[in-house]
Amino acid sequence: MNAADVWMLFIGLSFAAYIVLDGYDLGIGVLTLLQRDDRRRREMYELVARAWDGSESWIVLLAVALWGGLPLAYGIALPSLYVPLILMLVSLIWRGFSIEIIAQYRGWQRRWGLAFGIGSLVAAFCQGAAFGGLIAGVTVHGSTFAGGPFSFLHHGYAVLTGLGAIVLYLFAASAWVYDRTEGELQRWAARGGRVLTLLLAAATVACWALLQPAGTTRLDPGSAARLAVWVPGAVVLAGGLAHAYRSFGRHPDAGPVRGALAVYAGGLILVLGLMYPSVVPPSITVHAAASPTGSLTFLLIGVGLSMPAILAYNAYAYWAFRGKLTTTDEEVAGTSVDPAGRRVAAR
Amino acid sequence: MSQQTLVDLSQWQWAITAGFHIVFPSLTVGTSIFLVVCYAAFMRTGTEVYLRLFRLWRRIFAIGFGLGVVSGIVLTFEFGLNWGGFAHDVGPILGVIIGMEVVTGFFLEAGFLGLLIYGDGRISQRVMLFSACMVSLGTVASVTWILAANSWMQTPAGYTLVHGQFLPRDWVQVILNPSFGWRVAHMLVGVLVSAAFFVSGISAWYLVKGRHLDVGRRGLSIGIGAAAILVPVQMYLGDTVAVDAIAPYQAPKLEATEGNWTSTNTGWNLLLWPDQSAARNDWTVTVPWLGSAIAKDWSGRTPTPGLLQTPAPLRPMILPTFYGFRLMFFAAMAMLATAMAGVILRLRRRLDVTRWFHRCVLVLTPAGPLAIIAGWVLAETGRQPWLVYGRLPTADAVSPLDTWQVLTSLALLILVYALLLGTYIWYVARVVRQGPEDRPVPEPVRAPVAPVPRALGAGRRI
Ligand code: HDD
Ligand code: HEM
Ligand code: HEM
Repeated sequence: MNAADVWMLFIGLSFAAYIVLDGYDLGIGVLTLLQRDDRRRREMYELVARAWDGSESWIVLLAVALWGGLPLAYGIALPSLYVPLILMLVSLIWRGFSIEIIAQYRGWQRRWGLAFGIGSLVAAFCQGAAFGGLIAGVTVHGSTFAGGPFSFLHHGYAVLTGLGAIVLYLFAASAWVYDRTEGELQRWAARGGRVLTLLLAAATVACWALLQPAGTTRLDPGSAARLAVWVPGAVVLAGGLAHAYRSFGRHPDAGPVRGALAVYAGGLILVLGLMYPSVVPPSITVHAAASPTGSLTFLLIGVGLSMPAILAYNAYAYWAFRGKLTTTDEEVAGTSVDPAGRRVAAR
Repeated sequence: MSQQTLVDLSQWQWAITAGFHIVFPSLTVGTSIFLVVCYAAFMRTGTEVYLRLFRLWRRIFAIGFGLGVVSGIVLTFEFGLNWGGFAHDVGPILGVIIGMEVVTGFFLEAGFLGLLIYGDGRISQRVMLFSACMVSLGTVASVTWILAANSWMQTPAGYTLVHGQFLPRDWVQVILNPSFGWRVAHMLVGVLVSAAFFVSGISAWYLVKGRHLDVGRRGLSIGIGAAAILVPVQMYLGDTVAVDAIAPYQAPKLEATEGNWTSTNTGWNLLLWPDQSAARNDWTVTVPWLGSAIAKDWSGRTPTPGLLQTPAPLRPMILPTFYGFRLMFFAAMAMLATAMAGVILRLRRRLDVTRWFHRCVLVLTPAGPLAIIAGWVLAETGRQPWLVYGRLPTADAVSPLDTWQVLTSLALLILVYALLLGTYIWYVARVVRQGPEDRPVPEPVRAPVAPVPRALGAGRRI
């Protein structure tokens, strides 16, 4: 273990934090497309509005952690994923702006709500596609990317992982909505959640099984060490799915969220076990890509000092907004409640 | 299509996305400080108008901040997407600096933003004030780190070059590089000036329309007061940037800024049209004597150095550099004149009633962001053809993409950005026209309470 390995672990954790936190945001965006009822949609927008911006800080951290720590990987992987990443960025802008407009200005909820949903859907798909394009292997010549604009597709493998990401985020969103709401919306989330759990199980198996045939990455366990990582990863993942399936529709309401967290954890262990020591499969390893120790040490100190504070105030923000979200009928009819809880007639 | 087309398109994409991004920080950094001032004034004095100002400006702030965030994410990725060679070569230095920006700046802003915007009724007044302070602190930290990064590209220091990669040798020298101090000061005061005119301009609109006079007067008075102090400081800092941070390191940038080819002109060019390939100007409008005077020779005999001193391949383009500076300079003059007029009117107690003055201030609402974009165009195009000055040529740093890929993404980004900018302006106009909330000010709670259902209390029907 040297500084580069520690850094790879940190990148893995930033990745996890991002997909856990923004995953449910994006998933809720897609869910709003499936929900017909304006009031329930509004509840979902509210769940996203107060958190999305904090969640997206993690993708920035992920990007710069990769750039500052593994500059070679950043300079190769990003150009190779140009098409899905640019589309992802444009959709992230689009949905971030839409949700702010919905939150601050009620008049145009329908139109901007649709924009928000579609933006979330495209962003989720592109993230999955970019991820698939990366793990299936990138053509490298020397220290630059040498493939074409669409070589990330790998005979459609990236489309599969794109759809997989949508299913994953929808699953996580259902779990979160189930925890955070009550009444009809909560029951709706439970019904959908169970179906999505099964879909996710199928998608996971498909993505794993098709990786080797589609791409240039070898799924060769190679050593007992690799199997020793894969087996627990798979067990945690499967356990999470089973737990989530059982808990949708039952008490405690946090059950599906716990299941989802286990799914993420298991998935992450599998992926790290699959990729390590390469960061841009198949050829670029974390040690070849790493910045010199001077940079990594500076980064590790900076991150180490600020992380406790970051976690503390993010936790405080979540705590301040804890509890169930409820809406009153008047609001949907065009009344809003002012901050002190008094009702105010709409103009 | 050639490599040059790819470089050009990638440069345009960067310039447009960076120029779009900078508009929002240039407004939100200062506005967040204004929010702190208003809320603190409300807590101290209990005067209701401050809370109404706070609520009004918070709604304007929220969307601008959101746009700042998403457009900033695009920039972070573009370093790798379009400038893969650059990402590899400078990652050990710039990636680390921007990493520090993320952990110290972005997370601080994002962590407290939700509380600032949606926290009414959930958090106490103290926590609200604290959140506002933390958001401003985060934005100031962002500005500082990003300026450290960019200044390092302008005046690199503290590194060793190993196989074409810049490795840090001394972090103190990297961060406190020669141009950093003056440039970050000029940038920080610049964003404050921008916000001062943004707040003053919108407040002046209320006075022109004769609506919400209390809010308009208070906003105008705070904004113009701040501008009167900050604009002269900003001009002093700008001059120092040119003399101490640019002249010793980047002579060609200043040659291009003054718009001369030969080194014979003792005047100061007001307007011109350059012919870069023929290395001459088609026409110029020159104020005699002034060039020499700026070089502190009052006799009028000192000529300004011209671009012919620099070998042709190393010359920056005159057109953007020259006009970038002129726009910034004229904006500064207009702001100075307005702020000084404001001071005189204030001393004569006529600030609230002088119609023509309110109109002038209203016109200057977007002057700050325009000056800032212009200043950046000067700084960045004047740095060409280098990315890392004197070390890494821009053309070597571009990613091996297909030209049409960049063309498509550029077109897509322009389309989306134009739409967003339009909607943003429409939204601000809408919020301003609707005005501050006239309903009674609710009593803010003093301690965290059990969850109140509404998250989006701020959202009202317009
Ligand atoms: C409200 C904004 C504002 C105003 C009124 C001014 N500036 Fe400025 N200027 C900026 C905002 C700005 C900026 C956007 O903040 C820049 C761009 C890059 C930077 O570091 O600061 C800048 C850059 C910049 C540069 C180039 C720095 C470089 O190449 O790195 C010079 C030489 C000046 N300024 C000089 C001036 C002078 C002489 C001014 C007054 C007459 C002036 N600026 C007013
Ligand atoms: C937000 C304010 C900024 C604006 C408006 C801006 C504008 C520009 C412009 C106009 C160019 C193109 C120069 C040319 O083609 O002649 C450029 C280049 C560049 N700037 Fe900036 N810049 C900004 C801030 C930054 C910062 C803070 C950094 C780095 C940390 C940076 C990094 C670069 C890079 C890498 C290029 C090279 C790509 C190119 O030449 O287009 N810029 N910028
Ligand atoms: C002079 C140039 C720049 C200044 C002064 C600046 C300043 C800021 C500020 C104050 C914010 C906070 C959000 C807001 O207030 O709107 C912000 C956001 C952001 N900026 Fe910049 N920025 C500059 C250029 C850049 C560049 C070149 C990048 C690319 C690395 C960048 C990346 C970001 C990102 C990713 C965010 C979102 C932060 C978040 O998640 O909260 N900025 N910038």
